[in-house]
Amino acid sequence: MNRQQEFVLRTIEERDVRFVRLWFTDVVGSLKSVALAPAEVEGAFEEGLGFDGSSIEGLARVFESDMLAQPDPSTFQILPWRGDKEQTSRMFCDILTPDGQPSAADPRSVLKRTLAKAADMGFTCYTHPEIEFYLLKSADLGADGRPVPVDQAGYFDHVPGGVAQDFRRTAVAMLESVGISVEFSHHEGGPGQNEIDLRYADALQTADNIMTFRTVIKEVALTQDSYATFMPKPFSDHPGSGMHTHFSLFEGDSNAFFEAGAEFQLSKTARQFIAGILRHAPEFTAVTNQFVNSYKRLWGGGEAPSYISWGHNNRSALVRIPLYKPNKGQSARIEYRGIDSAANPYLAYAVLLGAGLKGIEEGYELPLGAEDDVWSLTAAERRAMGHDPLPASLHDAVRAMEDSELVAEILGEQVFENFLRNKRAEWHDYRIEVTPYELRRNLGIL
Amino acid sequence: MSLAGRLISAGFTDLEKSTRFLEAPELAGIDAELLFAALGHAASPDLALQSYVRLLAVEPAVADLFTREPERATALFRLLGASEALGEFLMRHPGHLDAVRRPARVEPAVPPEQLRASLLAAVDADPAVENPVAGKTGTGAHQCLRAAYRRHLTELAVRDLSHPSPIDYLPTAARELADLAAAALEASLAVARADLAESYSADDIAAVRLAVIGMGKCGARELNYISDVDVIYVIDAPTLDEALASRIGTALATGISRGVYSPGPEPALWEVDANLRPEGRDGPLVRTLESHLTYYSRWASTWEFQALLKARAVAGDPELGRRYEEAVAPLVWTSSEREGFVESVRAMRRRVTENIPRHEGPKQLKLGSGGLRDVEFTVQLLQLVHGRADESLRVRDTVTAIAALSAAGYIGRTDAADLDNAYRYLRLLEHRIQLTQLRRTHLMPDGDAARHALARSTEGAMVSVRPTARSMVEKWQRTRRLVERLHETIFYRPLLNTAANLSLEDAKLTPEAAQARLAALGYSDPKGAMRHIEALTGGIRRRAVLQRQLLPILLAWFADGVDPDAGLLGFRRLSESLGESHWYLGMLRDSKAAAERLCNVLSSSRFITDLLEVSPESTKWLGSDPELVPDTFESQWQEIRSKMSRHPQPQDAMRLIRLIRRRELLRIAIADSAGLLTQAAVGNALADADRAAVLGALHVAENSIHASEPRITDVVVIAMGRQGGREITYGSDADVLYVHRPLPGADPAAAQRQAEKVVSQLAANLTQPSKPPVRAERVLEIDAALRPEGRQGPLVRSLDSFREYYKRWSLIWEAQALLRARPMAGSDALTADFLKLIDPIRYPSSLSDTDEREIRRIKARMEAERLPRGADPSRHLKLGRGALSDIEWLIQLLQLRHAARVPELRTASTLEAMDAVEAAGLLPAPEVETLRRSWLLTSRLRAANIIWSGRSSDLLPSSRRDLEAVARWCGYGPGKGAELEEDYLRLTRRSRAIFERNFYGT
Repeated sequence: MNRQQEFVLRTIEERDVRFVRLWFTDVVGSLKSVALAPAEVEGAFEEGLGFDGSSIEGLARVFESDMLAQPDPSTFQILPWRGDKEQTSRMFCDILTPDGQPSAADPRSVLKRTLAKAADMGFTCYTHPEIEFYLLKSADLGADGRPVPVDQAGYFDHVPGGVAQDFRRTAVAMLESVGISVEFSHHEGGPGQNEIDLRYADALQTADNIMTFRTVIKEVALTQDSYATFMPKPFSDHPGSGMHTHFSLFEGDSNAFFEAGAEFQLSKTARQFIAGILRHAPEFTAVTNQFVNSYKRLWGGGEAPSYISWGHNNRSALVRIPLYKPNKGQSARIEYRGIDSAANPYLAYAVLLGAGLKGIEEGYELPLGAEDDVWSLTAAERRAMGHDPLPASLHDAVRAMEDSELVAEILGEQVFENFLRNKRAEWHDYRIEVTPYELRRNLGIL
Repeated sequence: MSLAGRLISAGFTDLEKSTRFLEAPELAGIDAELLFAALGHAASPDLALQSYVRLLAVEPAVADLFTREPERATALFRLLGASEALGEFLMRHPGHLDAVRRPARVEPAVPPEQLRASLLAAVDADPAVENPVAGKTGTGAHQCLRAAYRRHLTELAVRDLSHPSPIDYLPTAARELADLAAAALEASLAVARADLAESYSADDIAAVRLAVIGMGKCGARELNYISDVDVIYVIDAPTLDEALASRIGTALATGISRGVYSPGPEPALWEVDANLRPEGRDGPLVRTLESHLTYYSRWASTWEFQALLKARAVAGDPELGRRYEEAVAPLVWTSSEREGFVESVRAMRRRVTENIPRHEGPKQLKLGSGGLRDVEFTVQLLQLVHGRADESLRVRDTVTAIAALSAAGYIGRTDAADLDNAYRYLRLLEHRIQLTQLRRTHLMPDGDAARHALARSTEGAMVSVRPTARSMVEKWQRTRRLVERLHETIFYRPLLNTAANLSLEDAKLTPEAAQARLAALGYSDPKGAMRHIEALTGGIRRRAVLQRQLLPILLAWFADGVDPDAGLLGFRRLSESLGESHWYLGMLRDSKAAAERLCNVLSSSRFITDLLEVSPESTKWLGSDPELVPDTFESQWQEIRSKMSRHPQPQDAMRLIRLIRRRELLRIAIADSAGLLTQAAVGNALADADRAAVLGALHVAENSIHASEPRITDVVVIAMGRQGGREITYGSDADVLYVHRPLPGADPAAAQRQAEKVVSQLAANLTQPSKPPVRAERVLEIDAALRPEGRQGPLVRSLDSFREYYKRWSLIWEAQALLRARPMAGSDALTADFLKLIDPIRYPSSLSDTDEREIRRIKARMEAERLPRGADPSRHLKLGRGALSDIEWLIQLLQLRHAARVPELRTASTLEAMDAVEAAGLLPAPEVETLRRSWLLTSRLRAANIIWSGRSSDLLPSSRRDLEAVARWCGYGPGKGAELEEDYLRLTRRSRAIFERNFYGT
């Protein structure tokens, strides 16, 4: 840690960095940034940087607005899109109260707390997200009132000379240059839709990486005169943008999810972890799918998982056990397919992990896996097989979360309350909105 | 004498086993007299006998030791009786038996160079060169090194065990143990260099200079017989590539550890622990000097400097080691100026007593209150605080540091002598316990046999009366208590000598040193604190003399509170106003519990401090639990009546009544702070005090009015709200209703006028300033807003008017308010009639849907309107989410619904009503439990707010300091403010959910 602070100061000196941006995240996952001159960095390491937290969503109570941002030197990174002159860099921050305690309202500290709990149980947690997004011609809507994608290609399509191809190449190069390893990138199902998979890393680093990733993608799109969006469901008739995430737990250097010879090579720990996630999924869906629009993705078809189920390599299941080479026990993992690309990664990973750990702690039994395509079952069949639906709307999700002791415990009372307040307000705003749908359906005939 | 008798008198404990060993064929031909005489010297004759028999088997030559060299035999038996492990060493290596020598009259200390030379020679390295390379390599070399180490250890143990006064020999033995460990590290390094030749060129290896810095007890040359040896590695290789140098350095460091600690036929010596290095486990094993310094100057935390206090170059390159020592010393001695020094010191102190496994607590020599750590911590803290200015304190080991602190006057001479003695004794116990098995332990052994042996081995060789296990345990406990006491007072005693300008005692601090010390102990205004101490201890009056004795410990108690400065200031004021009252001085002197209570109260409650200041004589109660039982209503009323009869003037009588109420508030608060009252009892007692005052005020008002006009009506006061439920807190208003009934034949209009006169006089009696003023009084505000028609209605109504009103207009919120009506003052008959009137209203046989809906509507509107602007609903204790109002409204709704049917629900008390709700099954028991806990915590917090700050507030504090203070009042330990906050938010969230489900039906 401290060598890292030293390294940061040295790099700033050597690379002639002119600005250091301190990054942190509000409760809904928007990136916040404040710029420092290099001379101020050492002070910020030692004492933190004071700022007024009251204007940041969900961060501080009005009457206790002084907060400190303390940069985490292990996240120091030069930002490449600012060019070689007047280099700019960034570090993620932890938010502290004026007396130097971790702020209970900081999403990053929520994830840190959950990871510390995992560590107490002897686990380190690795995650690996597959982030989908749409590349549009611009942020403006087209003549038909819908966004305009950059191309009309589909899954894994190679588009010769396409914008998307160029875009992905530049984006991947830039991600690599900020130290984010990319596993895979390809064209997704919708027109202009892309997916980029990040290499697995520990959960906190992954969450930081996702925040960086979104910025990088948006910056690169801007340089190419296009616009990137992580909105969960920008088109009614094309698939939404999910952020399937693979989770694995390690005990020391061995994968705690792997057990040679067990069904699907899944250890008892893995089964309990999945059981925890499935049992608590309705309670934390408001966090993993936090916008009104998120539910258009969850319930809009296109391979989004709407029912609580798990399966071995079953793409209709909420939790999927990916196939991997039998002798590669270290790569045993589970994939949660519910999260969308607009989630606050710190909170989303905290609740998923927290639910999984709860399953391990309490020794939950894993229900039977789904072998069929869950979407093609009838409602009665699904009910018979115990595949309950996820919440149908943000409103339902908020109600389910309100009753969840587990989510309150994971988020801490203050984030829990702030988050719910924010989401109730969103639902309220949405409810009073007259939508194009209503006008189209009703105006002409009523 | 029978054999058994003989064994017992020789000190054997396991007779059966020892008898068997005595029959061993190996002992044939040995003179039993001589054998028994020798066994008498062994701490554990049983163990000595067994080991001797086993030794005979491998080395028959020891059989004639008794006749040939009787003094060596004695030494051998001392060794065998005190150390099974060293006995086994001799069996493995009988060749080393010559290490057991006849003890010399004056034992010379073995110089460190000699030990270094001997251990280097054991691995064929040349002691004359600076960075020697061993001639032997690998495990073979390790065996030689360890055997040589144990040979020296054996020699030392023999000298130690044969010393006439081991407690005096302790520092010498500890020094030699450290030197021996250093020599082993040096020899192991020589082997590591030789081993490395397989992978690196000799030039490269030689180019890496490595210094081993001893930390902890090894660094301070006060090592135990066996313990981890703490080290830090420094390298220097200017001619090599950085990465290569670091690789070789790391390999050498790992090699050192392997040499002494890897498993092998000659067992490992001890663990080499490098975790005190920069960044601990996560940091690189070796660093350059520059890298160390950068780390320390920038990132190190306070405890790391405390650790560096002990740093000493013990092995490896001497020149590099010296440079390291010189470079870090200034960092150590300026560390007390660092920010956060005080906080980290206090946290460290807490850790000394925490984190001990429960079952070990009573057996711990090292940790825990009164243990070795306590002594070391005290000494190091004083060194760090004063060593900045005074170089004579810059020494490493504890014994020398105590002497230096005493010589320079930072601690008193007697205290120093006691501390030194205690420290050596505890260390000696630790040494002897470890020596038995050469196992790292700091626990007093279980069982009489082991304790008996320990008792014998800690006494000197010449002692004629052998101590028993019991006398040893008693002495140990005495020592522990002594250390505990010294630990409490040692910081403060010299402060007083400075402040009081005394020449009686030796220890005296400069004003700067005194302030530095106070600041380090948590006083935020050390100058002010020094002034108070001066005022308290100056002069030659009895009070000053006594306070000089007491203050050291009082200052420590204040420092444990939330606001030490306020505690000290309050104490000074109190002490000045109490003057020479002999009971006060006596109480402080004789009652430790009372003095501790006083310090606790003064440093954590503004409310109590303010009241004590105006009625200092109440300090007396602190020493007497019977005085802290709240006066009953009856006895207060009796006192008030007698005051009224003796003081006919209304103002005089009223002033006395208000003084009684102020006195009772203070008594209750103190009893509350001492944990003598339950929360329900506090509410009841406060309500009784208010009731007595209101009754007094009513009588005074009536007496003065009826002096000039005849009585034509009776007036009663009915308590409402939390006052009615007897669930008020300090400084609450009194919600009331006034009822009157004209005497037969009286004119109703005139009676109404007289009643109005009485009640307005009553309220004025309680609130108007009196002469002389009642200082620090929490005035009892009377609030009659719950009356029919609220503020628009007449202040007082006749019983008939009430009847009329309730018949025609009664609104459901009034019925709800009446649930908490309770007689407070005035005619019993009228009160009874009033209750008869309202019972059918407040306990309706059925509650209509319209009424239920109306209650919900009013509550909902209150939630929207009553909360102060900008207040966070989740933190408002009265109207906030799941707080008092939510819980009480739910309970009251259930009372309105069911009280006609369930008589137990007919109570004004929320807590009792909750019990009844649970008993009648109206809510599930777990839900009632959640409500109850929320209600109790919330009520407690409201009281805590006013107790801590002297001002009432209905918000959960948000500043950390305020949170800390109220958390302590709510029974949380130090540093648990955030935990209280989380608990409160969680509890009230749950109770809000229960409320919403059951009240609004959502």
